[in-house]
Amino acid sequence: MSLFGLFDIGKSALFASQMGLYVTGHNIANVNTPGFNRQEIILETSNPVATQGGFLGRGVRIAGIKRHFDRFIYNQLLIQGQRLGMSRTLSNTMSRIEETFNDMKGLGLSGALQEFFNAWQEVATSPELLPARNLLISKAQTFLNVAREMEGSIKDILKEIEVSTGDVTERINSLLSRIGELNGKILQVESGLSGSRANDLRDQREELLKELSGLIDISYYEEENGSVTVVHGTFNLVERETVSGFSAITGNDGKKRIYVSGQDITDTIRSGELGGALSARGDVERYQLFGLRRLIASIIKEINLQHRQGYGLDGSTGNDFFTPINLHIDNFTRNATVSATITDMAQLTLDEYEIIFDTTNYYVRSLQTGSLITSGPYLSGNTISFDGIDVTISGAVAQNEKVVISPLRDVISGSWIAVDDLKIAASSSSSSLPSDNLNALSIINIFQTPISSLGGATFNDYYNELVSTTATLSRTAQDSMRFEQNLMDEIMRQRESLSGVSLDEEAVNLIKFQRAFEAGAKVIKVADELLETIINL
Amino acid sequence: MRISSSMIYEQIKKGLQTSLEELSRRNEELATGKRILQPSDDVTGSSRAIDYRVNISSLEQYIRNSTTGEIQFQFTDRILGSVSDSLLELKKLTSFGINPSDPQSRQFNAEQAARLRDYLLQLSNSRLSQRYIFSGFMTSQESFIYNPVTRKYEYQGDLGERNIPLSNGAVTVNIPGSKVFSTFLRGAAPSQVSDGTVVNYSQALDPFSGVNTITIEIGAPGDPEYDTFTVTNIMDMANVLSFAWRYQDIDGSSISETKAMHRIEALSSLIDDARTQVLERQSENATRQVFLAQETERIKALLNNLKNNLSKTEDADLTEVAVEIKKAETGLEAMRLASTKILSGSLLDFLK
Repeated sequence: MSLFGLFDIGKSALFASQMGLYVTGHNIANVNTPGFNRQEIILETSNPVATQGGFLGRGVRIAGIKRHFDRFIYNQLLIQGQRLGMSRTLSNTMSRIEETFNDMKGLGLSGALQEFFNAWQEVATSPELLPARNLLISKAQTFLNVAREMEGSIKDILKEIEVSTGDVTERINSLLSRIGELNGKILQVESGLSGSRANDLRDQREELLKELSGLIDISYYEEENGSVTVVHGTFNLVERETVSGFSAITGNDGKKRIYVSGQDITDTIRSGELGGALSARGDVERYQLFGLRRLIASIIKEINLQHRQGYGLDGSTGNDFFTPINLHIDNFTRNATVSATITDMAQLTLDEYEIIFDTTNYYVRSLQTGSLITSGPYLSGNTISFDGIDVTISGAVAQNEKVVISPLRDVISGSWIAVDDLKIAASSSSSSLPSDNLNALSIINIFQTPISSLGGATFNDYYNELVSTTATLSRTAQDSMRFEQNLMDEIMRQRESLSGVSLDEEAVNLIKFQRAFEAGAKVIKVADELLETIINL
Repeated sequence: MRISSSMIYEQIKKGLQTSLEELSRRNEELATGKRILQPSDDVTGSSRAIDYRVNISSLEQYIRNSTTGEIQFQFTDRILGSVSDSLLELKKLTSFGINPSDPQSRQFNAEQAARLRDYLLQLSNSRLSQRYIFSGFMTSQESFIYNPVTRKYEYQGDLGERNIPLSNGAVTVNIPGSKVFSTFLRGAAPSQVSDGTVVNYSQALDPFSGVNTITIEIGAPGDPEYDTFTVTNIMDMANVLSFAWRYQDIDGSSISETKAMHRIEALSSLIDDARTQVLERQSENATRQVFLAQETERIKALLNNLKNNLSKTEDADLTEVAVEIKKAETGLEAMRLASTKILSGSLLDFLK
């Protein structure tokens, strides 16, 4: 063993300490970098040399740079991210919808509905006075305006959901591409360094996967070569560098649906922001939008039916108070033309209907109850009658093509007051004008009567139920988000506890490696002095 | 547990955020005075609150309705009082004014009867808020008009009774004129006048208008003083009386003194019937008025209850809120102080 060996040992100490300082510095520099996993230098003794006295150590060498990373915690983080993403989107959407129905702040319909009801009482109290009649028209107008504003708010939220569905899809695609790119880089880097890991690239990829899982439910597995395969359902979204992106395509009904490789996977998306948005869209359409439209349609139907029975101050009768309900037709057939009219308002259930065809027959189903209303052989040009509605379909239809008939879709946006003050039918007879208020009293009675198209609830009860449902959905979403957030925080704490950088710890490491560096330098100095002593002999 | 730097930052951030959220929430409660700011704060509470509000609004409307009714009742009562007084005056004329030998007295009675007739007509056509209150539903037209062809007073209204909605049913606020001013035979009518001449009363009711026509037949057909005439209402009666004191029929043609005196005497008992009827209507009106007053009181009590319940459900306890705000502020302050201490020190600060 020559004296020069001591130089080598000192040099190895210098290199190792310097590397330790680099790693410590890197940790300190990334203390706030999202997804960064703290790194640690792994040192080991260099291979010893055999001497007469035994094996003699030859200093230190760097075995590797370890990344403090726990795959189990990370997987929990991904799953939790999906749940949190979903519940956050749901909670945000429901909170906004709730504001639309916030009767506690004077928003919502109950005040306007009640004032409309009160105005009918004013007419019943003074049927011959025009001011009472004008008040009723004004209150009815306000009632419709409030309903329109509420529907507008709900539609705006639904539009935003559509826009955000598109945005989220783009973000997902962008993340998938970057994960694919990182797969490539990691493959490239790690194939050149056997046993070593591209720590920082892996950190980046894992951060992207975490971000992705906040948007959609995915799973992933790591290949032996270090690349990850990202999976949604049965679809491989990323495989090495190959990416299969999502596309959000707007359907005939104006709603976006999500496709991968040409297949509609909308119904399989159950978590993440995208899952939350799709779920919120379903809830809002099913509860708030449908409920509000059904309530307004029911009010219009019942009041119109009774109003037609009465007589205005001008002696006219058979007038609707509101413009009559119109049917909205969604024709999803290629070649057929469809027309539909309401033949008997009294029979209208206020359900929406789907007419679907097979090779020879048509089937009418209620979209609300799912029950079959009627069916029969399809003959072009024939009229299909059900629940007070006549539908005429002409032309060829193909199997599984359908037509949707809705008495609700346009009911809020297309309704106006159809009478002037003189035509308000407070009287039950043309010969008992102007102070006969019997028809007005009958209309007042409607407000206090269970309505069959509202499941036996009164107008007020139905609306109250709608507010309660909205509040419950919002409350549940908020609670769920809080719960998921707490869980996420806990998992993040576990992750941070293992992988997070502690500046105090790094400060200690800094001193540790600084001192080691100084000591290593001292070894070299001593070796140098020894050499000098020998040279000067 | 190993603690990383970002755990400390995150913990502090979360703590500050929670304290600020609490403070903001309490401040909003204080500003609005409400405990429930949105339905999801208390789903059942908000549902009850909406229900209370709807009911409060309804009851307030019922009170407005009852005010309209009350005004009409008071007005009707005054009119019916005047009708009753006028009938009493007319009765006095028939009781004390039968003195054929005194033309001046007859003239006076004739004029008084005409005045009362016109006044009664005026009363029957009383208007409240632009409507003729005794016309049933047909309030845009006068209840009674004088028909110059038949020389009779005719009812133009119907039997419509307007109900005003209340929380517990409804109350009828008007009395059709035919039920007030029409003449009806009530109980046994006299069968002869004071000189022994037979008098016969018969009546026929029109069920659609409520108008009751009374035919009075004095003497037997063929008698020189045989007389028959009809009246349908108290204005007709006053009219017949007014002409009778002038020894005239209602068309101005002369009639004998005997016939005139018979007419006056025969109508005298009908005036009593008419007055009884008006008093009954007045009593009916008063009963409705009392019912309405009681109902209004009940509604007001209910309204108070509901307002209390609404307040209990949705209003914040301001003392409690103020205390909570203080607590939140103190918590926030402590959090900030602690954060300053925690964030200011790291080992790096001590490495000089």
